[in-house]
Amino acid sequence: MALTIALAGNPNCGKTTLFNALTGSRHHVGNWPGVTVERRSGTFEHEGSTLEVVDLPGTYSLSARSEDERVASQYLASPEVDLVLNVLDASNLERNLYLSTQLLELGKPVAFVLNMVDDAENRGIHIDVPALEILLGGPVIPTVGNREQGITELKTLLAAMARGESNRCRRITVDYGHDIEGELRLLEAEICRDERLEAAMPPRWLALQLLENNVEAKRQVAESHASEAIGQQLSKSFGFLEPHLGADGATLVAERRYGFAHGLVKEVATAADDKATPTSRLDAVLTHRVFGIPIFIAVLILTYSLSFVLGKIPQDWISDGFKALAAFAGARLPAGELTSLLVDGVIPGVSAVIVFVPVIMILMGCIAFMEDTGYMARAAFIMDRVMHVMGLHGKSFIPLIMGSGCNVPAIQAARTIESRQDRLITMLVTPLVSCSARLQVYIVIAGTFFTPLWAAVVIIAMHFLGLLLAVLVGRLLRSALFQGPSTPFVMELPPYRLPVLKATLIHMWEKGSVFLTRAGTTIFAGATLIWFLSRYPGIANRQWTLEYQQQRQAVTTLNLPAAESEERLRVLQLAHESRIVNTSLAARLGQKVEPVLRPILDPDRKRPEAWKDVIALTAGFVAKEIVVSTMAVIHQASEEPKAGERLSPLQVALRDGSGLSPLTALAFMVFTLIYTPCLGTIAMIRREAGSWGWAAFTVAYGLVLGWGMAWITVIAGRWLGFA
Amino acid sequence: MTQNPPIPLSLLQPGDQGEVVQVYAQGQVRQRLLEMGFIRGAQLRVEKLAPLGDPMELVIKGYHLSLRRDESSCILVQRMV
Repeated sequence: MALTIALAGNPNCGKTTLFNALTGSRHHVGNWPGVTVERRSGTFEHEGSTLEVVDLPGTYSLSARSEDERVASQYLASPEVDLVLNVLDASNLERNLYLSTQLLELGKPVAFVLNMVDDAENRGIHIDVPALEILLGGPVIPTVGNREQGITELKTLLAAMARGESNRCRRITVDYGHDIEGELRLLEAEICRDERLEAAMPPRWLALQLLENNVEAKRQVAESHASEAIGQQLSKSFGFLEPHLGADGATLVAERRYGFAHGLVKEVATAADDKATPTSRLDAVLTHRVFGIPIFIAVLILTYSLSFVLGKIPQDWISDGFKALAAFAGARLPAGELTSLLVDGVIPGVSAVIVFVPVIMILMGCIAFMEDTGYMARAAFIMDRVMHVMGLHGKSFIPLIMGSGCNVPAIQAARTIESRQDRLITMLVTPLVSCSARLQVYIVIAGTFFTPLWAAVVIIAMHFLGLLLAVLVGRLLRSALFQGPSTPFVMELPPYRLPVLKATLIHMWEKGSVFLTRAGTTIFAGATLIWFLSRYPGIANRQWTLEYQQQRQAVTTLNLPAAESEERLRVLQLAHESRIVNTSLAARLGQKVEPVLRPILDPDRKRPEAWKDVIALTAGFVAKEIVVSTMAVIHQASEEPKAGERLSPLQVALRDGSGLSPLTALAFMVFTLIYTPCLGTIAMIRREAGSWGWAAFTVAYGLVLGWGMAWITVIAGRWLGFA
Repeated sequence: MTQNPPIPLSLLQPGDQGEVVQVYAQGQVRQRLLEMGFIRGAQLRVEKLAPLGDPMELVIKGYHLSLRRDESSCILVQRMV
């Protein structure tokens, strides 16, 4: 039987680096059941023992209010955990020990890692490790996680504990003083009336949480048959302690814990010297009153360029590669259902998944770099005022801005936001931020119906409309869905640190592969479904396929020059596809829903073919850039402009044949901006929010809001005198 | 020795030092502030305000923390000279 070790500690104490150093590459990333908190576990072997390590989310305490804390405290109390390994930041010992005072109450052996001892030494803090071992009642191993110092000693200790050879844990607890200890014993006695409660966790630990007014503990007690007796004793204890010691239970308990930590630190550590640290020198510039914001904007531009400009290069390779593959397969295989499934369904579907990977990896790498260096907290510090107005956290700023490159990694980037509420709202409004795929639709449509200057104005206005809507919807969601107190903004500004390249690379790899395995299947399935909708039943029509093949044959027998022959074949192919798409299930759907969309796409009832827009919009579910290529098929006109002409054949067809006016074209763009996130975004919301419900909600509110905004565009435009 | 009356932390200026007298906040905010070290007698120093005036950065228990005015106005401190 292997020993399971839970790795617990404050955020920024170097826990994850230590986890990587212990387990190497042998680890697995998943989710904790029922929540969206990442669960990382791994194993290592040492001296013949196999040990499992589970990395808990970094928390300041076990009070079980945030999702992270609830996960940590529930798991720590479960019988799965044999040993708690508490990671302490040596340069910030006092606050780190607050969590230790709680871990010591769990009734499990606790070993300690004194991490980043080099940082502490540099700040003049010397720690007496043997004295610390005595006072904490457990073994303490000093380490420098990012240089793998002390890891072997740590492994040796853990392996010895697994074999039951080391007995260095003495099980000490904080002494809360005569009065509180007396009340704790009385409460324990009442708790022990219920065996089930007694078995779930040490009674003293439950009693302490009750004194702290912990909601989760109270809930557990409420389910017990002894709840009345416990409640009475608790009221009595409060009635005695509060007047006697001059504060409420939560304050008294916190004061005693910090008293323990303070006394301990005084005993074993020298005080930090007063000289300016590298962090304070950096912060003098990076969060400077005047320079702070320009520097932040520069960092943002750099991140954006790396992700979406540099990332576009491999992205183009991938999509060109798949296009070439589809063309190759299309040219070699006989026309028909299976070929179409492969060429128009499977290959573009796989492409639509893989194409995100480079951008995801680069952006997640940048964000991990900002997090690990400590700059992310500064970015939130600088931008919090702005985001507070939106009812969001400073950390929401980066995902929202990155959404203008691509919504998919932006939603993944929202993971840096600790509070679930803030994270959820950020994820739900990010799709409103116009991404680069939607830009391609605007360029085609605005370029058709407006002069180049006005087209630019319209395109920029689209982006501002997206941001404005994100702000408004964010506020609305906050007040409508998430009533109650918003999470407090109490954020640590950790010391700047150089990140470990290996950790950043592991992180990037994890994000990329998690996307492929979890979101990939959804995107792929969705893409195949949309292929089915836009190709059936026409694709199965033998007669049409036969006609198409005969026409092709006729062209090839003419023995025309290669270029002309190719051009004619392309026209034939477009005509064939157009015939299929315009009679497809999607087209029938378009005819069905056309009355609903008439106020926005055909307010004057002059467009008998407005239903064709619906086919393009349906295809846009897969990815917004497909809207343009689908329009090309519908209107039988190429999207590539001929040499020397400003408008492509598609744009000419839209201008002359679609019946769209500049006003309805604008409404179409507004609708395209909002109506639904693409499949990649939907899959990502599902994964990150942990339920299909939120993904469906995003699609639903998008459709309603998109219709409403497009309608307002038409009404306002007519009122202003446009047609 | 005469002491100034306690004032909300939000009124301290960058560079000022103070000692926590009481945390007025309730519920979740209160618990969080206690855990982060805002207990009676804890000493703190205001480092700076964010470029847009809110939140503030302060040092307590030897580490740096940022608080919005919403939270810092719920903490009573004694200014120290």
